[in-house]
Amino acid sequence: MGNQNRQDNGSAKADDQLGFAPLQDKHLLGIEGLQRPVVEGILDRANTFADLPPRETLSHLKGVTVFTIFFENSTRTRVSFDLAARKMGASVVNVPVATSSIKKGESLIDTAVTLNAMHPDILVMRHQNSGASLLLSNYVDAAVINAGDGRHEHPTQALLDALTIRRRLGHIEGLNIAICGDIANSRVARSNIHLLSILGANIRLISPTTLLPQHITEMGVTVYHDMAEGLDGTDIVMLLRLQQERMQGAETPSQREYFHRYGLTREKLALAKPKALIMHPGPMNRGVEISSELADDVERSLITTQVEIGVAVRMACLESLAAGVLGRQKS
Amino acid sequence: MTDVLIQNARLIDPASQTDSHGDCLIREGRIAELSDQPNTLKAPKGAEIINANGHVLTPGIIDMRVQSCHPGAAHRETPQSLANAAIKSGITSIICLPNTYPVLDDPEMLLSQCRMMSGLSTAGQDLRVYSYGAATVGLKGEAMAELGLLAEAGAVGFTDATKTIANSLTMRRVLSYASMLNRPVIQHAEDPMLAENGEMHEGEHSTRLGLRGIPDAAEDIVISRDLSILRLTGGHYHVAHIATAKGVALIRAAKAEGLNVTCDTAPPYALLNDIAVRDYDTRFRLSPPLRSEVDRQAVIEGLADGTIDAMASDHSPQDRDVKSLPFGLAEPGYSGLETLLSMTLSLWHGGYLPLMRVFALLSHNPAQILKIDGGQMAVGATADLTMIDLDRGWQVRGGDFASLSVSTPFEGAPVQGVVIGTWIGGKKVYDHKLDLHANGTR
Repeated sequence: MGNQNRQDNGSAKADDQLGFAPLQDKHLLGIEGLQRPVVEGILDRANTFADLPPRETLSHLKGVTVFTIFFENSTRTRVSFDLAARKMGASVVNVPVATSSIKKGESLIDTAVTLNAMHPDILVMRHQNSGASLLLSNYVDAAVINAGDGRHEHPTQALLDALTIRRRLGHIEGLNIAICGDIANSRVARSNIHLLSILGANIRLISPTTLLPQHITEMGVTVYHDMAEGLDGTDIVMLLRLQQERMQGAETPSQREYFHRYGLTREKLALAKPKALIMHPGPMNRGVEISSELADDVERSLITTQVEIGVAVRMACLESLAAGVLGRQKS
Repeated sequence: MTDVLIQNARLIDPASQTDSHGDCLIREGRIAELSDQPNTLKAPKGAEIINANGHVLTPGIIDMRVQSCHPGAAHRETPQSLANAAIKSGITSIICLPNTYPVLDDPEMLLSQCRMMSGLSTAGQDLRVYSYGAATVGLKGEAMAELGLLAEAGAVGFTDATKTIANSLTMRRVLSYASMLNRPVIQHAEDPMLAENGEMHEGEHSTRLGLRGIPDAAEDIVISRDLSILRLTGGHYHVAHIATAKGVALIRAAKAEGLNVTCDTAPPYALLNDIAVRDYDTRFRLSPPLRSEVDRQAVIEGLADGTIDAMASDHSPQDRDVKSLPFGLAEPGYSGLETLLSMTLSLWHGGYLPLMRVFALLSHNPAQILKIDGGQMAVGATADLTMIDLDRGWQVRGGDFASLSVSTPFEGAPVQGVVIGTWIGGKKVYDHKLDLHANGTR
């Protein structure tokens, strides 16, 4: 079901009952491999949700059960999924990890089998190991949404970034987008590289050599180590968190040096296009990736908009996967 | 012991480089007579006569890199399951790594391990079991183990097993001391600092998958350093499971220079590359990691031109629990005994290696490297033999393994080469027909 509505993407009304399922795979594990019409379909649908009044609640996912299970700490992503599911009328169970049997050494597969026995329709998982969401998907009947797996992918973050840009600038095709910071440890960077490439943007990475993974240029990006060069002519500067908790040693000499060379300041931003915009997946380290003053500049910073759009994007993703799950149950 | 006359066999002896159709008579556990004309030897009274129907008879396989899991890890492999897996695969001798619990860094431990494992004569399984001694106490890479006492207890070489002897001074001392004992030092060549937390080969695929990379340099840095030390100390240096193009090139140059250097690899490094990891399938989590296609090609080239001396199974059993984890948390290793022959034969079937080379890699060369008995088919030699149907096909299914460990990177692969029979010291320890009868069809 659902695919026949594809032509109506733009005009799809938010109150269509589960009429819309652009995602053809059962799960949303990553952006890599998705086709442009699928991505555009999700963004269009999310766009209609983003226009809903803030207190509007829908009933599309009435009777659908969503479990969220976060093996890594998260505030915004978890709350965002929770809120998105509730706004769509779903029941939400936030599985506590810190206080549960998982901390007592239960394996991911045992956890999956246990949760599966409670028949969730959708499982939203974040895990510290790359590939964990794929592993989970092999052991559950539910559709799995990857809310971040290790350094691999974080697909809903990339989708919300794309929609944020599209709503502000009207298009993505042809934009010069710089992704700046800790690329090596970042799933957000990988998902964004895939997604923004699908949508036709020119992607450049600005990063010290020690925070760039090998052969990254095979993914169709241009690499800069000098921020001034890299920012020249950019429409969007996407900053990444310098993930201190993942730093194993000394990939950068010090925070002070990092901010000096790669922290975004008003002076450095002046090298980009005159109205260039700033994005950050959060949580921000003020004075590390970005100067505090710039982070709060509503003219240039899209950071809070990203959070807002995140809910709409997750509503669209949940809806699409739920339609798939319920469609399969019927047939 | 009954005499055995094997008639009408294709006799392949890598030691003498002969490949002929003929007969082989076994008496008193040794090869008594050979003929290069089929059906010409006369059977002594009471001898068992076996018609090989033209199938290959060759020295039993000597597998120079096996993790025995005994003592200390019977949930991964028992001496019995190990022996069963070996003999049905044409393997007549195995050399065990010292990374057991406790570690084989003590001569008494080593003696009791070999005694226990070789003593498994139930069902006539007299697998020949040798052990390496630990190079350093507790495999910690610091203090030298009692190499002299270990050698007297039977250690055929010294190694820190799956760990690299990373300290240059320790390596110098171990190589130097081992040279006095006329034993090789076997190195797992991977710079532990460079490979720290590594999950797979570093390259485009590790970047896409978000897995931490182990650069190829982790191997050649260690080999290069060790070769420099070898020039100081003399002795015999052996690199285990070589897997990179740069590593192979270094060994090739060292051999040309005249250094006493040998190396082995294992089938995964000749037949698979890092693309296999694409679905985070933990069967492909190995140590060293599966390398790039360029590296794989270089390994095949090294096997063909003699740079790589031996093919070992690198049998590293893991239980299901430690393989049923996210890729980065899973233990590296695979069940290798039962695919060693067929996978090496696939390099012959594919036209990459001559058949004689295949059997040199599997039996004669390991015996030469470790100076142990076996690996030749000559009058007077010990009758450790295996008979092989080179062409018969089967499909690799870990679930069917005799080994307790079922994880194999070759799961599902169609292969050719079936062991028909295995003799150790003239005694038939494996008969495929009886095996079929007992277990149904393979």
